[in-house]
Amino acid sequence: MNKILIISFICSISLGFLSGAEQKFTFDKEAYSFDNIVQEELFYSLLVELRCPKCQSSNLSGSNSPISNDLKREVYELVIKEKSAEEIKAYLVERYGNFIIYNPPIEPATYILWFGPFLLIILSLGSIILYRRKQA
Amino acid sequence: MKKLLDILPLVIFVSLIIILFSFLSNEGDQLETALIDESFPEFSLTSLTDKTKVLTKSDISRLPALINVWATWCIACKVEHPFLMKLKEDSILPIYGLNYKDNRNKAIALLKADGDPFEFSIFDFEGRLAIDLGVYGAPETFFIDKAGVIRVRHVGVIDDKVWKEKFAKYLDE
Repeated sequence: MNKILIISFICSISLGFLSGAEQKFTFDKEAYSFDNIVQEELFYSLLVELRCPKCQSSNLSGSNSPISNDLKREVYELVIKEKSAEEIKAYLVERYGNFIIYNPPIEPATYILWFGPFLLIILSLGSIILYRRKQA
Repeated sequence: MKKLLDILPLVIFVSLIIILFSFLSNEGDQLETALIDESFPEFSLTSLTDKTKVLTKSDISRLPALINVWATWCIACKVEHPFLMKLKEDSILPIYGLNYKDNRNKAIALLKADGDPFEFSIFDFEGRLAIDLGVYGAPETFFIDKAGVIRVRHVGVIDDKVWKEKFAKYLDE
């Protein structure tokens, strides 16, 4: 019984890591050309990090919706202008809010998002320990 | 103590249900708005009806006003169109259109057929001004106060109820 508990606990934690796996590019990469490899890498890393405002569960690189393509163009133009990743993200957060980034800042509104999972881990670990003690 | 432990899982479960349920009542499609209390962004785009005429922020001269994001491909825009016409006919406030990622001729034809509630429409084929406004679909409506500051953003159809709940109070300021 205890083994099952522990295994399911480990499984549920590793599921969380798996869901962060890489997403494929679903658009025409030929449409974007860069001066150098640094710009290119920045562009594609931003597309993975930024969220499509319309589809909500996809990032920009995984979406071909018109708004995502507009935002790709916007990110591309900023990358070409030699803006940094931070500047580009700030530019988009100014317009679309924290929603646009998958990595929201730690602030009161996002506390539950950041600390909720740890609270759940502590709670479930605590209940497992208590449960075992009771059985012993 | 032992009794308390026995009901602990139930307590946690019930409080989770309550927390999650309270999130359900939030309007899910209203994203947070970064632009509230910011001044309306600068732009330079052509007029829908005259592609040689360049419009800028200074052309939105009659304030307070609504900026309505619309397109012919947008079904919900057809739903709210009669309400916008009513606002115009009752001279409640001027409405400026932002024609979003649309076909110019189709858009002009639609306004001819169904009526034009707008002072003018800005033609934003590439979605430039739309990105500065944080628009991600249509229809969306912004209320701009006398000072040119964005006070309300509404995503989705605007009707009598939405108008009374979200917009009307700013008109009297």
